[in-house]
Parts: sequence; C-alpha cells; structure tokens
Amino acid sequence: MSEKLRYAETGEVHLDFHGATDTTIEFIIGKFGLAAMDDIFRKVGKDVYRSIHEDLLAGDTGQLVRHWRHFFDRENCDYDIAVGDDEIVLTVRHCTAWHHVAKLVGTPSPHFCDQTTRTNEGMAEGSPFAIDTEITGPGACRQVIRRRT
Amino acid sequence: MIPSDHYTRFYNEVFKFLEAQGEEVLEAYFLAISKNQEKHILELIQTKGLAGMEEYWTHIKIEENCDMDIDRNEDRLELRMNVCPSLSKVMDNDAEPMGRYCDHCAGWIGPIFDKTGYHLVYDVIDRKKPQCVMRVFKDAAKAKEAEKDVKLLMGWPGHKV
Repeated sequence: MSEKLRYAETGEVHLDFHGATDTTIEFIIGKFGLAAMDDIFRKVGKDVYRSIHEDLLAGDTGQLVRHWRHFFDRENCDYDIAVGDDEIVLTVRHCTAWHHVAKLVGTPSPHFCDQTTRTNEGMAEGSPFAIDTEITGPGACRQVIRRRT
Repeated sequence: MIPSDHYTRFYNEVFKFLEAQGEEVLEAYFLAISKNQEKHILELIQTKGLAGMEEYWTHIKIEENCDMDIDRNEDRLELRMNVCPSLSKVMDNDAEPMGRYCDHCAGWIGPIFDKTGYHLVYDVIDRKKPQCVMRVFKDAAKAKEAEKDVKLLMGWPGHKV
C-alpha cells in the first residue's frame, strides 16, 4: 500500500469556498442540467484526483483513506473511518461544508452532496472498487468502499 | 466533499466547461459568483469604503494563505499578490489548467466595484504567473491614469478592455 498523499494542504482553510461551490452547482444545473454537473464532478474525481484514481485502478485504497482523514480533520468534521476486511466505511456525522453553506444561504442546493457522490464515482471509475455514498441526513452521510463483485 | 482547499481546482474544471459553451456563459457565471460574493463584501464597501475593502482582503489574506501586500491611502487601495495560492494550486494540478483562469478574479469583483462607484484597475501581468496587482480608486481619472502602467489589463462583465 502506498504512503503518498498527493493533495495534502497546510495553513488556514477558507470555508466560504463551499458557498461558491453551492452557487456553482445551482448555476450549472439551472443552465445545463444535472448530467452536465455530474460530468464535471466525475472529471474532478478522475483528472483532478488522478493520483488517487490511479491508486484505486492499481487496487490500492490507502491514499483515499489518508486523503479523507487529512481533509475531514482540516475542516473539523465529526466523522470516523472503519477499515474492515471487506469494506471501508466513512461515517460523516457533521459535514462542515454542508453546515457552513446552510449558515450562509439557509438551505444548500438539494444537489450539494452530489459533489461527494459523483466525485467518488469518478475516482473509482474502472477500478476494482465501487464507492457508494448514502446521504443519511442534513450534512451527514456514509461513504463505503467495496470491491466490485 | 470537495475540500475548500481544492475549490480552485474544481473551479478550473468548471471554467473549462463554461468556456466551451461560449463567452456569454462564462460571463453569466462570473456574475453569479459576484452575486454570491456580495454577502461577504458589499456592505463593507458601502459602509466603510476603502477601509472596508482592506478589512475584507486582510481576512482573505489569512484564510486563503496569500503572500500579498495590502496598501491603502486616501485615494486608493492596492493589493499586490506576490504568490497567488489560487493559480498556484491550479498550476500544481493533475488536470490541465484553464488558460484564462485569472480572468475570474476581475470577473467577480469588477461588477461589485461598478455597483459601489469605485474604479478597478486589474493587472494580471501574466496569466501563467501567480502574481497580480489590483488597484481600486475613488477617482475615475486616477484609475484611467493608472491603466497606463499595466502589463495585462483585465476587463469584466459590462467593462470590456
């Protein structure tokens, strides 16, 4: 299992960017439809997170799990990750991004969490793994990495 | 969640998609982002003027980890971005940078200055270098004069150069 973490960051975080993401989602879906937004998120998963995508293609989930820990810690989310023999489960109880947008605009886009679902799908595309994202409540979700059957 | 740290790389993908749809679509998007940003900066400008702008960008300098000098006098505010974290991340990217990535900055802030009666002179210098100089003037004639020293002047929706 590789030890790399290609996309690590340091310094402060600017949570207001999540508000701009929400605006972007509404704009793209409003003008071009849901499929266009989904395609952009999948490209983020495959192209922007190419190093994670390539690790998954090679059968290695290590970098994605480290990536999750790094950024959920940086954004002070309430979460845990359970690494089992058959699946890896990320449980998010309080997503800082969703709650920050709720504070800014009241109600985030109903498609706000698509960024997670579709980007996960993009990262896993063509790999031995599927990443399923289940929204379990406002600003809460469960993301599961499993080998495809 | 796409981390806030990686918003700029997501933004870069959005720009590539929108640029392919046409210039007017890209401009409509800049205006949508500008509207979103009003909630963070508009009241500061309307109530405190140049001092309000300085307050906003001092906060941004910290949160976005900018290497930036801010200088304000009675007539103008100057932001000198020595290392822009936004373009730096887009260039240090596994996906291809959008060639006009820098255009978004004037694209969202220009319309807000138009609304508040200030005059923006935005020198991107070189779209491949993460540095720029933004000057905001109270006086239109002083802004026009400042445009003479600019290397790569940016326009924004409603203000072509």
